[in-house]
Amino acid sequence: MVDPLRARAAAERGLARVTGEALGPYQSAVVRIGFAGTWLFFLLREFPNRHELYGPDGPWSWALAKRLIATNHAFTVLMWSDATWWFEAVYVVSVLASALLVLGWRTRATSVVFMVGVLSLQNRSVFMGDGGDNVIHLMAVYLVLTRCAQVWSLDARRTERGGAGPAGPVLWGVLGAVFGYGALAGRFDALWAAAFGALWVGAGVWWLAGRYAPEGEGRALLDVLANLLHNAGMLVIMAEVCLIYATAGWYKIQGSRWQDGTALYYPLGLDYFTPWPGLSALLAGSGTVVMLLTYGTVAVQVAFPFTLFNRRIKNALLAVMMLEHLGIAVVLGLPFFSMAMIAADAVFLPTGFLVWLGARVALVRVRRGRTGPVAVAGAGAVGR
Amino acid sequence: MDSNEGKLAERAVPLPVTAPRAAGIAGLSTPYRVLAAVALGAIAVAACAHLALVFLHVAPSNTVSKRHAATVDSWIYPEFEQNWKLFAPNPLQQNIAVQVRAQLRTAGGELTTSDWRDLSAEDGAAIRHDLLPSHTRQNELRRAWDFFTGSHDDDNKPNGERGALSEAYLRRIALDRLAGWQRGGERIVRIQLRSATTAVAAPKWSAERTDTQTYYRELPWWTL
Repeated sequence: MVDPLRARAAAERGLARVTGEALGPYQSAVVRIGFAGTWLFFLLREFPNRHELYGPDGPWSWALAKRLIATNHAFTVLMWSDATWWFEAVYVVSVLASALLVLGWRTRATSVVFMVGVLSLQNRSVFMGDGGDNVIHLMAVYLVLTRCAQVWSLDARRTERGGAGPAGPVLWGVLGAVFGYGALAGRFDALWAAAFGALWVGAGVWWLAGRYAPEGEGRALLDVLANLLHNAGMLVIMAEVCLIYATAGWYKIQGSRWQDGTALYYPLGLDYFTPWPGLSALLAGSGTVVMLLTYGTVAVQVAFPFTLFNRRIKNALLAVMMLEHLGIAVVLGLPFFSMAMIAADAVFLPTGFLVWLGARVALVRVRRGRTGPVAVAGAGAVGR
Repeated sequence: MDSNEGKLAERAVPLPVTAPRAAGIAGLSTPYRVLAAVALGAIAVAACAHLALVFLHVAPSNTVSKRHAATVDSWIYPEFEQNWKLFAPNPLQQNIAVQVRAQLRTAGGELTTSDWRDLSAEDGAAIRHDLLPSHTRQNELRRAWDFFTGSHDDDNKPNGERGALSEAYLRRIALDRLAGWQRGGERIVRIQLRSATTAVAAPKWSAERTDTQTYYRELPWWTL
């Protein structure tokens, strides 16, 4: 029997939480740092190959991309011009946005630029990517919705010190000019124009309310809206991770090789996925090990979404999955895919562990005599 | 009595205007609450709708996803497209190498045909012992070949625009890799690609037997 009074009280508590708090401050921060860091690392790794991957004269040339995008309408600012300087500018801005997002500087604006960078580069050359690019693509969109800089960020440090500074309005001014150009020149389709317009107006109203009526009710309403958006974004991120594991697991169950326990043997014999042939041969050498890993992979992937109802089992499985991804990074030569998946997994890490991790990082920094932004913002936010 | 009255009077003093506002919807007055409630409803519906559409996109084709295919596709493509059938239902069990040869005109005007050059083997060599393999080596040619086979029939006839695009793409990759390869005075006249498919041998600890012979699929010559 459900007691109506208790149900009502629980509903009220829930309502107070989703409107009053941006839940999971540490989880959203670790997802931000994880994905921005992965993409930053990837862009730096591929810096020497950037023209071949995304440049106007790469094998997937600007003209070929134009023909494909005319049919699928994917978003990419790289189609605005086939000039090399434009491509270089977009690449460099993507690198900068990724670095600033890791640091959590003017995070909402930076996350928009990060998303534009990820979508522009990936959609320019869709045939260069793999599963890692796919998950970064999705998360770059979802991260825009979140207040992911409440801790471990330059923004958190600035808020603690009570500063505002001119960088925010300047940044949004520049973004406004770019959005305005894009909309007026017909570079965006209607949905993107509306999304950028809403983001820009939202940021403007937010800034005005903070400047002229910081204690006003309008500002309080904006806070509620930002919390709602954040919480919905986090829900979508968590559900997306569950969908990834569920589909990966359930489709495997249907495969004969996953059933007979040999599936993992085959990738270990593919030339494109064996950077360390000796190691791969060693793993492939034992039928029992291969069978256990094969069954273990499927079991963990299928089970994971259901273990969210039990904290301890969820945490144990999370550790197993992160370790498996570390293994995949080395054995199959998929470091960026693995980093992205670990960043996605991290949304489920327990707050206690993340606080501990933040304190450890802060301690190391203090010992080295550098009290950087991470240390200060991380330490200050522990009590929240 | 006096003291009681004093307490009542104290209680009646209005809250100072600077009192901190309760967090969340509770701290808002009615009109703002209505706005917040509307936003809550809209955001909740949007999030659930998005997740439902993503679910229908990643799930196997089913009664509901077939009925709403147009809606699902229009929301998912292009930005929310995703594929998590990683090594599923079965992992790839064969090495598919893409090879190229060229017909060259020498400085003397003679036509010669080169040997086959294994571009995938070169990718493999570049990946070997690299902790951070590049997408240019791991994905470029491999996925370009997938794109080609996915947009052509068994007789190498293209299926529409995607077929034409994949041909142009493969040709550009091949020519990029052949750049600087010919000897002085030689000019590439035509190129030809083929795939060499070899099954990964069955594990030595299993009783299975696999045909590990290499099978070729030759594309027609492409004149430059």
